[in-house]
Amino acid sequence: MRTIECLRRIGFLAAVIAIAGGVDARIKLITLPPRERVEIQLDHPNATLVEEERIVPLVKGENQVDFSWANTQIDPETIVFRVIAPVGEKKIDVKVLSVSYPPNEAALVWSVGSSDSGSARVRISYILGNLSKSFNYRAVASRDEASLILSQYIRLQNFANEEFGNTSLWAGFGQEFHKPVGLNETKEMLMGKFEKVPIRKTYTASVQEFGYLDQPQNKLRIPMHYVLKNDKANNLGAAPLPYGKVRIFIEGGEKSKEASTFLGEDWGKFTPIDDEMKLYLGVAQDIVVKRTIDRNENQRVAGNLFNQTVVIKYEIENFKDQAVTLAIAESLRQIRNEALGRDTGRDVEWELGKETTFSGGPDKEKSTFDQLVFHVKLPARGADGKAEKSIQKLQVILKNEW
Amino acid sequence: MKPQLTICLALAFSTVAWARNVDLSTVPKRNTVQLTIYNSEDLTLVRETRTVTFKKGANPLQFSWANTLIDPTSVELKFLTNAEKLDVLDTTFPHDKPQMLYWNVQSELDGEATIQITYFTSGITWKADYVAIADKDEQRMNLESFVRVFNNSGEEYEDAQVRLVVGTINLVEKIAQLARIPAKDVDKLGELVKGELRQRAFKDSVELAGRPGGMGGGGAYGAAARKAKEVIKEGLSEYFIYTIEGTETIPNQWSKRLRSFDAAAAPFKVQYRYRPREYGEQLVRMYLLTNDKESKLGTTPLPDGIVRVFRDNGRDGLSFLAAQSLKYIAIGDKIEVNLGVDPNVIFELIKLRAERDNIWLQVNGADVFRQVGGGVEIDVNSSVVGWDDHEVYTQRIRNYTPKAIEMEIRRTFAGHVVFRSELNPVLHDFQTVQFSRTVEPAKKADLLFEIVRHQGRNAKQNNVTLEKAEIRP
Repeated sequence: MRTIECLRRIGFLAAVIAIAGGVDARIKLITLPPRERVEIQLDHPNATLVEEERIVPLVKGENQVDFSWANTQIDPETIVFRVIAPVGEKKIDVKVLSVSYPPNEAALVWSVGSSDSGSARVRISYILGNLSKSFNYRAVASRDEASLILSQYIRLQNFANEEFGNTSLWAGFGQEFHKPVGLNETKEMLMGKFEKVPIRKTYTASVQEFGYLDQPQNKLRIPMHYVLKNDKANNLGAAPLPYGKVRIFIEGGEKSKEASTFLGEDWGKFTPIDDEMKLYLGVAQDIVVKRTIDRNENQRVAGNLFNQTVVIKYEIENFKDQAVTLAIAESLRQIRNEALGRDTGRDVEWELGKETTFSGGPDKEKSTFDQLVFHVKLPARGADGKAEKSIQKLQVILKNEW
Repeated sequence: MKPQLTICLALAFSTVAWARNVDLSTVPKRNTVQLTIYNSEDLTLVRETRTVTFKKGANPLQFSWANTLIDPTSVELKFLTNAEKLDVLDTTFPHDKPQMLYWNVQSELDGEATIQITYFTSGITWKADYVAIADKDEQRMNLESFVRVFNNSGEEYEDAQVRLVVGTINLVEKIAQLARIPAKDVDKLGELVKGELRQRAFKDSVELAGRPGGMGGGGAYGAAARKAKEVIKEGLSEYFIYTIEGTETIPNQWSKRLRSFDAAAAPFKVQYRYRPREYGEQLVRMYLLTNDKESKLGTTPLPDGIVRVFRDNGRDGLSFLAAQSLKYIAIGDKIEVNLGVDPNVIFELIKLRAERDNIWLQVNGADVFRQVGGGVEIDVNSSVVGWDDHEVYTQRIRNYTPKAIEMEIRRTFAGHVVFRSELNPVLHDFQTVQFSRTVEPAKKADLLFEIVRHQGRNAKQNNVTLEKAEIRP
């Protein structure tokens, strides 16, 4: 019997002779019920559940059903055997009486009781290792970078040392696939294609998050991102977007015959519904932002208690041919640490000073108690190639420090 | 592997018969065998009966247990029939034959008697595990409990009645350790150790083994071949005993798993919990039910074991949700299964504001304190020694599931803290606030609260007090 099993990685044998004794009265004659149906459930973040259905011939009384999984990583503790229904018109009552585990074998033996001779459809479920999934995306931006086509793929990697015929694959959302999964095969399937997903192209200056491009000259690093929102208004929002690599292309020129161009790639973080996925494309070197602390003054309140007034100056130039909007983000804790030269460990109590020049004030949606976000509209450079320098100031009063 | 455990009746009737090089013996078979297996220790009490024919006079009985894990200090012989005519004169552990002993039985009987041999062995263990399959609406589940018996004792016990003990017993030495001590060294064991071992474990075991159920033999199959064996549960003292119906044969190195009970369509509740001390810094989804009759359970405590949770995915298949260790659950106690994070429920704590007030300064080197803003001029040479931090938060929950969800949130604050809100919170303990909320499907909830932390000399306590207050976003 074991010789037969060795030929199969996941084997399933049913004794057609009712056994009179215990588990050591081993099989005299066996049948090999094939898989009738296989489902691979990929909806758990860390585990893959395989469910297979087989039709098992049973005789009246006790039957022995062997299941073996040589050279595969089935977690034997997770194996669930369920009798779904008898096959045919004859109603038989089928129950699992016990399970025996032979030593030093990747196998188990179900002792199954049947009220009559007949066949039963059974389902065996188990967690299988080395059968894993990942997600990736292909985004093609429109030429004007106002929207993109987002294709979401699921990639199944089968290193489980077992092949599956026509198998149902389901990730817990999106469409279900019916594909064969071969040995050592990697299969990539299109989960969904989302057309005309609006994107925001953002340029962000943030010392805390992105640092300096040239610190001696106080030049900030200005990364460019595509930002898309996972909601219905933006043609997404059916499900959270799982973590995965996003390859970003931009479509060809007006003649449409030009091939799309690869812009870059980034890891798209897990994005719940209504949240934004921010994709980093690279540093925008044509936008120059110099940040300096223009003023740093201490006003004593009482004893060693003081308020600190800090003014930060931004000199901004856009050398691009298009007008852009720059986001400037400032961490209040970062400002305090720079102003005081130390981190007190306390929360920053602050208020915005009147010398702040950003029109429209802070972005209420993006700003929090310890981060301020402003937006500055920058015109395209002039015909003479020169950029208009925009000077903005942020005044913050840090209160009740010591 | 063939049985290694034998008892022989030597046919030479002198007290030194077993010293001869040429021996003749008969091997009485086991009539019945009963295993009482503990899951808290590697301990099994074996009680076996055999029929032995005695002649009048001295009858040497040899008992050997080569390649097994029997504790030689625990082997005892008892006469179940004709006890008044049979006496054990002495017991000998021969120095040159490890894992063997001789009983010198003085008999006034010329005929058969049933003897009972009891001993401890290690290597036979059992554990429980559970499989829960929730319906697709997550309102009811089928909960199956299993017991799995492992036999690594080196001996095959055929047609054994199997009894499993749920509970924690006290042992002063491991049976596996004792089993490895050669029989000739038995006397070197401390009497105290042997005594305590016998008194505590053996007394409990024999008492448990003597409960109704007996040592019945007979096949497990026959008429009941289509019916899963029943596992009979009964309580005794601090323990619970599971007796597996009929008898079982578990060959050496095999294990066998049997259904202990099956609760069909047991009602349960889904709750989302944030309890960092128990579940880490994440909101987790829980299945909650009680080990009672309303939940179609409550017939037995649930022994320690892994529960594996599946759910009908509504597409004629299962979804695997979680695997978790369950600790012993008494009858009437709660069963709580952590399913992990739900990607369709977003849980965020957003700090909205931070400010300080009630600031006190102390004149340096003097026992003089002044409050800022108190209308009194404060010496330049003063330092802040007390203040109140005010932090305003919103606990934002976004529910993208198709059902209303019930939330329970616990937050722990160190120090002297006032928790201000309109959330109707309660104190779980002196520094942990608990509040609840139901969030409708496709809705967002902002639960606002303010924390006032008394710092420095303003801190007079180390606890949290609750205060009802309207908090602005």
